[in-house]
Amino acid sequence: MKLDQFLAMDVGSEDDRFLDLRALEYISDYDDHLMCPICHCPFIRPVRLECDHVFCQTCLNSAIRSFATGRDGFTCPTCRTPTRDVYLNVPRLLTNMCDEIPVRCPFSSEGCKEVVPRGHIQSHADKYCGYKLMDCPSASCDLRTRKKDLSPEDKCMHELHKCLRCDEDIMEQDYERHVQELCPSLKTTCPDCQVTVFRKALREHIEACPEAIHPCSASKYGCPVKMKRAELGTHEQSCPLITIGPYFEAQNSRLDSMELTVRHLQQRNEIFEDGLASIRSTLVESSRAFSAHNSSNTPTTDTNDTLDTPSEINRRSTPRSTTTEDSTTPLSNATTYLLSLHESLREEVAQLSHAITDLDARASMAIMNECLRLKEDMAHTNAAVNSVRMQVQWLMNPRLHQGQRAAGADTSTGAQSGSAGRTGAGAGPSSTGLLRLRRLSDTGREGTKL
Amino acid sequence: MMFASKRLAKELAKMQEHLPPGISIFKAENLEEWQMDIKVLDDNPIYRNETYRLKFTFGSRYPIEPPEVQFIDVPATESAQESRRPIPIHPHIYSNGIICLDLLGSAGWSPVQKVESVCMSIQSMLTANHKNERPPGDSEFVTYNRRRPRDINFLYDDDNV
Repeated sequence: MKLDQFLAMDVGSEDDRFLDLRALEYISDYDDHLMCPICHCPFIRPVRLECDHVFCQTCLNSAIRSFATGRDGFTCPTCRTPTRDVYLNVPRLLTNMCDEIPVRCPFSSEGCKEVVPRGHIQSHADKYCGYKLMDCPSASCDLRTRKKDLSPEDKCMHELHKCLRCDEDIMEQDYERHVQELCPSLKTTCPDCQVTVFRKALREHIEACPEAIHPCSASKYGCPVKMKRAELGTHEQSCPLITIGPYFEAQNSRLDSMELTVRHLQQRNEIFEDGLASIRSTLVESSRAFSAHNSSNTPTTDTNDTLDTPSEINRRSTPRSTTTEDSTTPLSNATTYLLSLHESLREEVAQLSHAITDLDARASMAIMNECLRLKEDMAHTNAAVNSVRMQVQWLMNPRLHQGQRAAGADTSTGAQSGSAGRTGAGAGPSSTGLLRLRRLSDTGREGTKL
Repeated sequence: MMFASKRLAKELAKMQEHLPPGISIFKAENLEEWQMDIKVLDDNPIYRNETYRLKFTFGSRYPIEPPEVQFIDVPATESAQESRRPIPIHPHIYSNGIICLDLLGSAGWSPVQKVESVCMSIQSMLTANHKNERPPGDSEFVTYNRRRPRDINFLYDDDNV
């Protein structure tokens, strides 16, 4: 789709029926890759550019509209690739992942506790949310009321009633709740000191109630004392567990860190044990194969050079049995030998990896040093080239003026003198061209020169 | 303003969790003007042991339009135990704090830039500099300029920094 077509598309954000997804409260962190780099929200109706960078439709729209050099020169906001086309198809995966991010219901300020995936929030607000604000059914009233508070008889719930106790004007829709819970004139008793206070002052009272029983602040270290707040202060000054508290804290943290290391070590130990077991099993297998091979070897050599007499067979059967018994001792020997071999090989490998990391670090240091040197050299050369350029320009200037003047003279005298005239004419046009070019670049520098 | 403030709130939340080394938030109480402290991390003798303060002013069309960014000179405060925040010396920074950087002009700006990335660009612009000088014509510019940074037509002619 061309940019102009894209701009002509409906952005749709003005429509009141749809929730503004950017205004929603995202309750958890979402992956940075799901975030539109312009609005930093999870993509809302994402579109894609040729360079595969993705933006929200509205964000890209406003980025194109405000692009400094006009939309013909538009470049991707992320990578500055010149861009002519917008693609509306982005991977379904992306939209699904964005729609899965949980958000809080936009009517949470009205009391809705619901948290739903973003893809479902529209239908939640449209159909299920009882806290959605609706226009009052009464034509004369322009207030709004919660969906669940709408009366079945379509009557206005905003009429004011006076609370009998506190003289406050309460709307009909809030009246019931006010009388039962909110009315500040309701009284209650403090659970600790039995004083009757107004409900609205209860919290303050509990904070300050001198009779309230509180545990000693060292209770987590085992101080059993529970006292009234007024007396707690004197206890806390003398409580030995409070003075020793910081030490306990330090010990606790040390214990925690030690537990952590122990857990790590356990894990490592398990890994090692597994490895050892597998090595052992392979060793047993291989030694069994080895011994089997050995025992089968001896009889075959025997059969080759001995006669098949019954006595021979008897004789042969005895050495075979002895070899199988003997093979157990060399087997354990072989195991230890292989194990030691394995250990030494492991050490060697460790040494090698050390050497490699060492070498790597050294190489990267050397490269960095070299790079720094080269950078400096390049800066020097740059400066030198610039100064040479300036000098050449300065030197060229009078020459060019001369050439121009000579060309003027030449056109009047015609091409009489062959070589001189040609060089003059040759220099003339090119020099004027050069001059004009430079003027052009100069006129661009009217602003502040840096 | 809705769009800009939402985006700024998100940026702020993210920056309060994590910031690149040498960059810190000094003041971000509202969503119109922030002040950031930046330090040059390597051992560049021009900027060693100095901290500089950047002032960001956001318009209602941020991030579609660039914020106004300039250095400010803050004298040392005894009470807060802060050293002075001078204007860094750089061939592209005028002594009144105005910065000539194409990223901050409407032509070089891109809406994917954010406060953090702007700070990092300026940080690297300082790091790469070895000239201990102000821009040419600094004193005249500072005396006569009454315009705001966004109204000045800078010419970006140096690709070395």
